[in-house]
Amino acid sequence: MFMTRSEYDRGVTTFSPEGRLFQVEYAIEAIKLGSTAIAILTKEGIVLAVERRTQSPLMVPSSLDKIMEIDSHVACAVSGLTADAQSMVEHGRVQAQNHYFTYNESMPVRSLTQSLCALSANFGTDDEDSMSRPFGVALLVAGHDVDNGYQLYHTDPSGTWTAYKAKAIGSGSEGAQTTLQEEYKDDMTLKEAENLALSTLKAVMEEKVSTANVDMASVAPKYEIYSKDRIKEIIERL
Amino acid sequence: MPHDGSGPTTRANWSPYDNNGGTVLAVAGEDYVVCAADTRMSTGYNILTRDYKKIDQMSDKCVLASAGFMADAVTLKKTLKARCTTYEFQNDKPMGCVSFAQMLSNTLYYRRFFPYYTFNIVAGLDAEGKGAVFTYDAVGSYERTNYSCQGSGQGLIMPVLDNQLKTVSPLVLPAQSSATPLSESEAVDLVKDCFATAGERDIYTGDTVEIWIINKDGVRKEYQELKLD
Repeated sequence: MFMTRSEYDRGVTTFSPEGRLFQVEYAIEAIKLGSTAIAILTKEGIVLAVERRTQSPLMVPSSLDKIMEIDSHVACAVSGLTADAQSMVEHGRVQAQNHYFTYNESMPVRSLTQSLCALSANFGTDDEDSMSRPFGVALLVAGHDVDNGYQLYHTDPSGTWTAYKAKAIGSGSEGAQTTLQEEYKDDMTLKEAENLALSTLKAVMEEKVSTANVDMASVAPKYEIYSKDRIKEIIERL
Repeated sequence: MPHDGSGPTTRANWSPYDNNGGTVLAVAGEDYVVCAADTRMSTGYNILTRDYKKIDQMSDKCVLASAGFMADAVTLKKTLKARCTTYEFQNDKPMGCVSFAQMLSNTLYYRRFFPYYTFNIVAGLDAEGKGAVFTYDAVGSYERTNYSCQGSGQGLIMPVLDNQLKTVSPLVLPAQSSATPLSESEAVDLVKDCFATAGERDIYTGDTVEIWIINKDGVRKEYQELKLD
């Protein structure tokens, strides 16, 4: 796809004559190298499951968090450059707190996603908080608000967001997305979603699933990260 | 004149504020809210206009009534209305009155050291459709109440409202609704009486009362003539 590099590879804000922004496309490719993350939306809540790749037994697994809380009603699972994800999540947290400060209500999930995407799309400008390159990260933003209930959004480095019922990102995303498409049902319970998320993740992971290499959380309707015991219980259920 | 402090001290007596008078009032019911204000605008012994409307709609189910300094009120409302519009675009819903109340408080407090000289009441329906009244001081301290009155007629009207509408303490158990037990038409009559009385004694209250009634069917307005003197 990107065999021939051209002078349009250099400037992040320069379109190629074919109408493409190569750096953005490369950033999207970068996510396909990241660890797999899955999110499933049900009427009872949203389940997030991610794989955590420890490269060495000396690495402390808890330092590789790929599920992050943005506010008590919104969480996100990330894949790609985690450092970039942290900048985005930090931005989201500030926005969420600002919204609560100004309007005395929790920030609607869609508005929050939109504000994360505005940051994503704001690269290569002279703005103070602008990045010199696109963020190399995709997020699965899961949240609940009073007006629109449970919502799941996928964001990519171009700043595009899309609502999903179930979505997988990262290295195993292609296989995982097919499984999700086959297995997803509109009337799933949260428990069934936990099973589907973990079994889908299990199928695309190279290692054997254990409490050391997967992380799970839910938003139902508040964010909650699962303990090792709870994940173990789900693994045993499969 | 020497500038060494030996001469008489002179100070600029520039005054950025005026008080244009007027009274605003609101009463919240179980499923409605009534907000009223007179339309007189004065400065000193002069009436500048008999037709200045102090109540403005900020979003779907939320109005703002401001007494005090007209120029500040106009600027404040312009700012808030723009923020409501932006909010509606960003969040895909009209701003609720509870959110609006918080935003007004913040807006006023940001001017803590050069305040808007306005005395505000926010009236609207909350997320449950219950009447809500929020009352403010000039620097943004606010409280949700079931009735309130501000402006030049406050001293005349507030005791009447206390007498007619005071509900049980929120500390009493079992908890009771803070909304006034009056029906919508009774509340409108009470508001009209309050203004007729204040118009007799307060020279800054008069001409016309504009009454906004907000309920589940929408927004309705009524007018009552007051004395012109």
